[in-house]
Amino acid sequence: MSVLSAVLLGLAMGVVFGFVLEKSRVFEPAVILGQLQLRNFLMLKIFLSGVAAGLVVIGALVASGLSGLHPKAAIWTADIVGGLILGAGIALAGACPGTTLAQIGAGYRDAWFTLAGGLLGALTFTYLEPTLRPVLLEGGAGKLTLDKVLGIPFPWLAFGFAALIIAGLIALERWRPWRTEVGADADGLLPPPEPSAPAAVPAAASRS
Amino acid sequence: MPALTDRAWSPYFAGALLGLLQIPAFLLIGTALGASSSFVTVSATLASLVDPAIQQIDYAAKHLSGAKNWWQVALVVGIALGAFLSATLSGTRRRGIAPVWARALGTKSPATRFALAFLGGFLMLAGARIADGCTSGHGLSGMAQLAVGSFVAIAATFAGGIAMAHLLRRV
Repeated sequence: MSVLSAVLLGLAMGVVFGFVLEKSRVFEPAVILGQLQLRNFLMLKIFLSGVAAGLVVIGALVASGLSGLHPKAAIWTADIVGGLILGAGIALAGACPGTTLAQIGAGYRDAWFTLAGGLLGALTFTYLEPTLRPVLLEGGAGKLTLDKVLGIPFPWLAFGFAALIIAGLIALERWRPWRTEVGADADGLLPPPEPSAPAAVPAAASRS
Repeated sequence: MPALTDRAWSPYFAGALLGLLQIPAFLLIGTALGASSSFVTVSATLASLVDPAIQQIDYAAKHLSGAKNWWQVALVVGIALGAFLSATLSGTRRRGIAPVWARALGTKSPATRFALAFLGGFLMLAGARIADGCTSGHGLSGMAQLAVGSFVAIAATFAGGIAMAHLLRRV
């Protein structure tokens, strides 16, 4: 595919991606912070639904022979150290790399600073990559997927795992209905937490 | 029925649509959805204007050209356009700084928020590039391919995120 057609396709897919991210509200900083403080579970619902749908779709593509997998290599130290730093950054940014752009599109001003910091972070890594490679970015198990570990054909394991996620999501929805978690201004901001005085307990219980 | 003018869609419906985007990614581009490597493509391209030597770094060279790299840059630009379109249609365009930050940081100072956003963005992309993926590449795509390294990376991401979020004030 030529670069031009790849760019046009990327733009079209990105518009859909951004539109759905905005409708899902997962780009809202209060949704992300609420999730990481274990107060609002909207982000987990969207994320796991995306994984479940992906499992079904990719399982079908593999089963029909239309496509193979494109997994990333497992490099334990890099996955753990990088993941921890990424998570800390997500909490401070109130965004992930992709939703930073959705925040900019929706109009949040601070997202431009997240974007600038992100570009500098990616550039800093690029300059340090040759130094980091021998310490952090080598070894590991290669492009290992769970179907290979367990010896189960990918589509079956993918469909089974998707079914497990869907069961979990049904339980999650019963525990925390999504309409409440979207919040009054659709930004995922819930009423302020009650001070944990004993007198406040009945009021908090009746509201939830 | 979800309408284009709705303020919010069901997270299950919206999440499923995100998963369906894997179809054109796999079939037409031959890759899975991702977002963070586009930050390398853009920043290394900008840096090459003042420091052409960056092209001697293999990692930069791998990200500077090719259809897949610029597809992902277009994808994240499209995300901004799509979010703008959706927010405009539903009347949820945002201005300034989200109200959650006054609660989380205990101050309404824009300078504090801008500094933390910059730091957050820096850590986010440094971490994503060390781990070779973010919530899209390792999360949506890696877990949907049952990639063992992606499960580890996402567990670490949530651990780091939960720890840092608890250092802020409770929202």
